[in-house]
Amino acid sequence: MNVLYRSYFHPKNGIKKEKDPPVLSVSTSSTSPEDLEVVHTTPIKTYGKRKKHAILFSDSDEETSDSKKKCAKNTISTKPNDEKLEESIEEQSPLKDTDKSLTQDNEISESDCGTTKINDHPIKDALQDQTQIKTKCEESSLPSIKFEPTHIKSDNSDTDEKVPNKLITDKKNKLKKKSKKASKIESFEKSSDEQSPTKDADESPNHKNVSESEYDPTKKNYHPIRDAFWNHNQPTPYRALTKTLLCIEEVSARLKIIEILSNYFRSVIVVSPKDLLPSVYLCLNKVCPDYIGLELGIAETTLLKAIVQTTGRSMAQVKSDVKKTGDLGIVAEKSKSNQKTMFKPARLTVKSVFDKLKEISEMTGHAVTVKKLDKIQSMFIACQDSEARFLMRSLAGKLRIGLAEQSVLQALGLACTMTPPPQNFPPEILNAAKKMSEEKFKKTYDGNTLIIKTTYCESPNLDIIIPIILEVGVSALPENCKLTPGIPLKPMLAHPTKGVHEVLSRFDGLKFTCEWKYDGERAQIHLTEDGNICIYSRNQENNTSKYPDIINRLDSTKGPNVKSFVMDSEAVAWDRENKKIMPFQILSTRKRKNANEADIKVQVCVYMFDLLYLNGESLVKRPFCERRQLLRENFIEVEEQFLLATSLDTTKMEEVQDFLEESIKGNCEGLMVKTLEEEATYEIAKRSRNWLKLKKDYLDGVGDTIDVVVLGGYLGRGKRTGTYGGFLLACYDPDSEEYQSICKIGTGFSDEDLQTHTEFFQQHIIDGPKSYYRYDQSHEPDHWFETAQVWEIKCADLSLSPVHRAALGIVDPEKGISLRFPRFLRIREDKSIEQSTSAQQIAELYYSQVQIINQGSTNTNREDFY
Amino acid sequence: MFEARLLKSGQLKKILEAIKELLKEATFDCSDSGIQLQAMDDAHVSLVSMCLKSTGFDKFRCDRNLSMGINLESMVKIMKCCSNDDIMTIKAQDNADTLTIMFETSNQEKMSDYEMKLMNLDQEHLGIPETNYSCIIKMPSTEFARICRDLSQFGESVIIACTKDGVKFSTSGDIGSANVKLSQNSSIDKEEEGVTIEMQQAVCLTFACRYLNLFCKAAPLSPQVILSMSGDVPLVVEYQIEELGYIRYYLAPKIEEDD
Repeated sequence: MNVLYRSYFHPKNGIKKEKDPPVLSVSTSSTSPEDLEVVHTTPIKTYGKRKKHAILFSDSDEETSDSKKKCAKNTISTKPNDEKLEESIEEQSPLKDTDKSLTQDNEISESDCGTTKINDHPIKDALQDQTQIKTKCEESSLPSIKFEPTHIKSDNSDTDEKVPNKLITDKKNKLKKKSKKASKIESFEKSSDEQSPTKDADESPNHKNVSESEYDPTKKNYHPIRDAFWNHNQPTPYRALTKTLLCIEEVSARLKIIEILSNYFRSVIVVSPKDLLPSVYLCLNKVCPDYIGLELGIAETTLLKAIVQTTGRSMAQVKSDVKKTGDLGIVAEKSKSNQKTMFKPARLTVKSVFDKLKEISEMTGHAVTVKKLDKIQSMFIACQDSEARFLMRSLAGKLRIGLAEQSVLQALGLACTMTPPPQNFPPEILNAAKKMSEEKFKKTYDGNTLIIKTTYCESPNLDIIIPIILEVGVSALPENCKLTPGIPLKPMLAHPTKGVHEVLSRFDGLKFTCEWKYDGERAQIHLTEDGNICIYSRNQENNTSKYPDIINRLDSTKGPNVKSFVMDSEAVAWDRENKKIMPFQILSTRKRKNANEADIKVQVCVYMFDLLYLNGESLVKRPFCERRQLLRENFIEVEEQFLLATSLDTTKMEEVQDFLEESIKGNCEGLMVKTLEEEATYEIAKRSRNWLKLKKDYLDGVGDTIDVVVLGGYLGRGKRTGTYGGFLLACYDPDSEEYQSICKIGTGFSDEDLQTHTEFFQQHIIDGPKSYYRYDQSHEPDHWFETAQVWEIKCADLSLSPVHRAALGIVDPEKGISLRFPRFLRIREDKSIEQSTSAQQIAELYYSQVQIINQGSTNTNREDFY
Repeated sequence: MFEARLLKSGQLKKILEAIKELLKEATFDCSDSGIQLQAMDDAHVSLVSMCLKSTGFDKFRCDRNLSMGINLESMVKIMKCCSNDDIMTIKAQDNADTLTIMFETSNQEKMSDYEMKLMNLDQEHLGIPETNYSCIIKMPSTEFARICRDLSQFGESVIIACTKDGVKFSTSGDIGSANVKLSQNSSIDKEEEGVTIEMQQAVCLTFACRYLNLFCKAAPLSPQVILSMSGDVPLVVEYQIEELGYIRYYLAPKIEEDD
């Protein structure tokens, strides 16, 4: 952001200043930040409007050094005097790295910090005005380049011989130029930015050739050390990561994304390997492995509050910006503060950001929002430029830059292939690609990536994986990081298909089996050697406390020889009275956490379909027929509690079709089709022949379309900024002449569709809902529309909903009907609003569903109705 | 070994009340000259600088310089356990990770002691420059508190304009605007009830009300408040604590929004 916060004191009188980042282009492990203090009797008039933040007194970075303390004490207790200044300058000099000349230091601090320059000039003026200036030093051990005070001093008294004369004159010239521009500080800043690169490149003989502002991971022949702007063993600046993410955001080609990210990873691996783990986590926007269950996802209102409080802008302004851009991150980045700060906070590092995010996600208890807000604020004020954007997005839980988990892993694979860890610093191999043929490199790269991905699938814990990669190397992963009961592995997911013929064409000539696809919740059941039982969801969330009933019964199904296992299964709601499977919605009414077995009303039956680990041995590499065999041998079916998934091994199309229809009558969603022998392992990363799912709603001819009325629109975010991202739909009830909400819709639209709809409905916006719109507060759209258009949509299911109002009172006195997975098909120009599907028809569609017919006799409401 | 004895625990109570809303935790630096505290709020907009001189204590001993990270909320809880007239003693060993606070009633009939865990805080040592301020305004602290409270009903920021004639506080917001003007009046018998202005140059600055109101929590410590301002530097709001030292609040000005 240009200037998120402007801190105080100075740009106006130009006397105090502050330079940008503690970590600058030429990074050496130690430099000397200092600041000067000024005592002046008359305020000096300003040069133009201040744009760049400036900070008051001084700025001290996180680590304290002795000398710093000393300085600080001086400052507090007594007036500074020149002697002290000298002293502290001298103290700094030994700190200077041998490989970096002072000149560079000066050059860089000068060219890098726009503000710095502006300020010099006024200082001189101030001097002429008899303003009394005293400089003082603050110093910190962090490598911030803050050389300014020395400059001033040398300008002032020419006592500091360390500053080359050339530089001073140089600078004076520049300053003259600057002052003309001073009224347009922004343009000035740009020019200073432009200048800095050339200077750095020309004059740095050592290994750094970029400054922070020009860090560019998209560069060809990226050099992990020379192109990184921070130094060995120095914490990776958060800015480096956000710059990388920024570059990624602008690119949509996956391979390019991987390359950019891998360049950043290479730098981290070589320069500051400790930051690789937080870097990868930040890219994935996670704070810990999924199964631990810590998530960010701070509420938007909290983030808005943080922006408002930190910048001093009004909530209304910020909100309207969010509406315009659709992205909190960008709003945060663009928000300029109208509140100066006292001292500039230390720059963010990848590690500090990650640690704080983790802390925030771990916070619980009383007044936790307020505490989170404080933490967020303390990070937010330290943000510069794009840092704010990605910090906000990380906090909100979505980076939204098109960086998928798989790409992150692949980038890691590429980075570890080009610049393989572990190596000492400076590493011998910086770019392995140079030393081998393209083919060989490609092969190694693919191999490494596969290892990383496989390991990540089997043991998705970066806390273990990354240290092994760094300490031993990628090749050590399979031995050190194995499938372990207790740590959930990524589940095999199924690929949707459109019909039986597609299944047959994909699995042509292979042995395969069809299993009923139960409409429940994936349950990965683990039993460790020491008897601990864990149950994980599809997304590796820990559901152990949700299913105390399953855990207690597990002994009854487990064969006598089973000591440890990992099983893949589906937990399905079970109706004991009617001995029937109940739909997913019933299951979802169960208590999610810490359920007490005695209170459980919804019974579950576990349908077991795969075995991944048995008695200390991983089975993922075995074909499915073997795994299934082991499952059948070692686990006993228990009526209503543990059953094997109903399956059929066939190759005939008709049989599959019949079996599918049977499954739907049996209250299932459809079929899962899996190969039995060939490419039938459970190695997700290997892209073994996917499981296929054959769902009833994917089948042609199943499920009617519904014609609904559009009531309102939700403003789009991210990619859909500027158009509506979703709509609220309703059916018409001619009896009550009401429009009753039936679902929100957001899929099935092409970008052009959205554009057209947005243009159309913007002519029909009304201030508020009409009195005859029936909807729930929780679904209130951003804009209400007149009823102007009928859409034809398709859905997977109709289900009872406590929030939607369609057919309210017909099927259930309290609940309406909503559509599951609605998809937009087309606009029904030929239908008028009143001709849309009526509430009565919706109710009939609901009853006509197979699952409901199965439950028919128990549904008293239905009897009332008929 | 650090030990400080204060005859009126109420004083420390008031001090904590005056800073606890700005700071959640802070480091108390103890040396043989006294106790110092310096910290910024989370937003880095304001800074609290407190100094309690060793001479202000009934008894003060500090063998080695000591930095104690204290959770102010916890300390306030402990301070609530005493009455204002109690004699309090604060004690800590060198390198200790706890702080002991003892209270005794003035008639010595009741003794209580509390132990509080200390924290390890990242400390930023901040140097505050000496500044010659263009305007120094002295006014009754209750009056200042009143003005801040009144004006904060109208807007989020207060403009403080100091001229030869007096000092004007003004704000505006959705419901309208508000102006309060104080003129110099040193004629009153008691010095601390008057308003005096020492001015070299007129100053006009904008500040966030929220912070001013937080500063005003220190009003019980002192009948008089001293505001020091210069163009484009932080405002200093100073409360002298009788015999003991001072609390100074620094507040960075707001930037007038003209874009």
